[in-house]
Amino acid sequence: MATNRPYYEVIRDLLAANIDSGRLPAGTRLITAAVADRLGVSRPPVKRALARLEQEGRLRHSRETGYVVGAGRDVEPIRLNLHALDLDLSGPLSPPSPQATWERIFETVESDILNCMPFGTYQISEAGLGDHFSVSRTVIRDVLSRMQDRALISKDRSSHWIAGPLSARMLDDAHAVRRLLEPSALASALPHLDAGLLAQMRERVRQALDNRTAVSQPTIDVLETDLHILCLEPVRNRRLADAARLAQLSLVVNRLFGTYIGVHDESEMLMEHRLVLDHLILRDGAGTETALRYHLDADHQRARARLKVLSVFSAPEIAPYLIRVH
Amino acid sequence: MRPRSRRKGAPRLRVVGRSEILPPPIQAQARRDLDVDIDFELIDGIEGLQRTVTRPDSFDVYHQWHTIDLIWTARAVQAIELERITHGAEIKAMASAGSGRALATVFDKLFLQKDGRLGRTPSNRISMLPSIHGVDAFGYLRPIRDTLGPQPESWSWLLDPRWHGRAAITAHPVLGIIEAALAVEAAEGIVFGDIGNLSIEEIDHVADLLIRKKKIGHFKGTWINYEDAARLMQRGGVVVQSMLWPALTRLKSLGLPACIATPREGSRGWHADLCISAAAAGDVLEAAYAYLNWWHGGWPGACLARQGYYATFPDRVRHHLAPEEWAYWYEGRPAETPLCDPFGQPCIAPGETREGGAHMERMSTVRVWNTFMDEHTYLVRRWKEFIDG
Repeated sequence: MATNRPYYEVIRDLLAANIDSGRLPAGTRLITAAVADRLGVSRPPVKRALARLEQEGRLRHSRETGYVVGAGRDVEPIRLNLHALDLDLSGPLSPPSPQATWERIFETVESDILNCMPFGTYQISEAGLGDHFSVSRTVIRDVLSRMQDRALISKDRSSHWIAGPLSARMLDDAHAVRRLLEPSALASALPHLDAGLLAQMRERVRQALDNRTAVSQPTIDVLETDLHILCLEPVRNRRLADAARLAQLSLVVNRLFGTYIGVHDESEMLMEHRLVLDHLILRDGAGTETALRYHLDADHQRARARLKVLSVFSAPEIAPYLIRVH
Repeated sequence: MRPRSRRKGAPRLRVVGRSEILPPPIQAQARRDLDVDIDFELIDGIEGLQRTVTRPDSFDVYHQWHTIDLIWTARAVQAIELERITHGAEIKAMASAGSGRALATVFDKLFLQKDGRLGRTPSNRISMLPSIHGVDAFGYLRPIRDTLGPQPESWSWLLDPRWHGRAAITAHPVLGIIEAALAVEAAEGIVFGDIGNLSIEEIDHVADLLIRKKKIGHFKGTWINYEDAARLMQRGGVVVQSMLWPALTRLKSLGLPACIATPREGSRGWHADLCISAAAAGDVLEAAYAYLNWWHGGWPGACLARQGYYATFPDRVRHHLAPEEWAYWYEGRPAETPLCDPFGQPCIAPGETREGGAHMERMSTVRVWNTFMDEHTYLVRRWKEFIDG
């Protein structure tokens, strides 16, 4: 991915450069739809970029003509075919990313929503999402409908998108799917897992176990990523791997618990991870599946108990496009 | 009041609990009896539990109340060595016999098992020291009987439209959802699968009804502690509501004709226990054990008996009660003399008999115990919707 900066800033830079170089001549009227079409992007980030350029004095705005290049009032606004102009579109915007726009923001939105769900009920603002990520309504609907498919959000009676509250039943349901999928996914990845990588993961677990009373949350995050994300990466069947990853709700609960409660004893989890890694190192597929299933079951019970602890806390920081309902 | 200063270097003990469990007379007596400076902190809302689970270093002893699941999961408290408890052997013995059976819930998650989990098989380490228990139901003003006639007491009274605008319910989600579920069952003639562990649909059913009732003005208010509950009935015009026993003794001492029901659908049981912070060590840990043993000595149990609470080991409490107090509070016999509440205010008139009878008779009416249900996280958000609505 090209950049982590807001998309509208990328567009603003691009337009500013073309104005400064004279490729966008003074007096050119910039209509949001036409600019979006010329750049091959959606309208909201363009709208925001134009507003920013006006603040900076590169554009002026009036009700009659919209945005016009140049600060001076003496230049007559002209309407040019933007496609006919020789703009410099090199940089982050081109070539167009092969990744669909919704994919670019899906993981962030998913993580924002999952991290607030144990703390209450939230309404998701489509307009707020669009503004926050500077993407179009179409993209937002792509993202939200995919989240709905995964049973993370739903529509209420007045057709608002609602997330949460996270229930024990959602954890149960996710776990039931996960224990069916993840062990076989991991076994199918086994032939492709690098022995050196597994040895490193095994060593990280050993170090954490030696230090069991003081394992920090970032360390736990690394260990969870090792076993539940990196080890699944070589899975050829992406449908299987994606489905397994989506059922990993307990990871969210465990991470939030660690964040709120601070350093706590994770030695059971560590020993379970060690057991799975030992089977992987021995290239024992059946043993890997059994050990992982045992770990997932035990982890599910821990997540259920921890979810109750989270119930006594109120909202953490929430993303600006979420509105707390209860 | 600042306690007199102890010998130099004596530890300070920080104790956290609810106002019902730590009334001023108990605080004063603990300071007199123990060679320790004690800071008592009374927290009635959820903040007490938040503090306990996130900052074990900010307290030494916690009077837990149906929260052991959570504080153990968060490892906010440490296991208590039974050999350091004066009457530790009695706890083991009780777990499998006698009144321990009636109080099974107290023992379900008491003993530390070999696998590090909590269970009922006796071992030498416990998660909490059982101290007191009781049974709660709704309370009402006797004059409403004139309207109702001789029908048996029922949780449905809480939702009865005849008390529109004159009913109240506790704001505490754990207690409130159980009482509301009992009321919904009784009022609508339905049966929930397990009233101590409601499903999402059942929680929605109860919450939707409560919210609807609140919107039309059925509830005069909600309360957090017993003093607020007493005020609602004393001055708020409430005639039927959730009630704790200290609220009842307060109202009786003020001369109001209040009583607590023995509903035909059964009652809500509870137990409160002592826990030691995971962070307590050294002299402070010694002081914590001294405080725990003091609680088991009988004086605090006797003080709280005067507001209707029962001690885990009633025999030691009996030495600290007058025979007529014992007869009224524990044996369910009529009061022979005026009896006082923990503050020394007369609250029970001669001839009165306690609602529901004797100790074990009353405990046998428990239909459901206070608990954090599996769906508590879901429940508490719906409950907030009701409280904020």
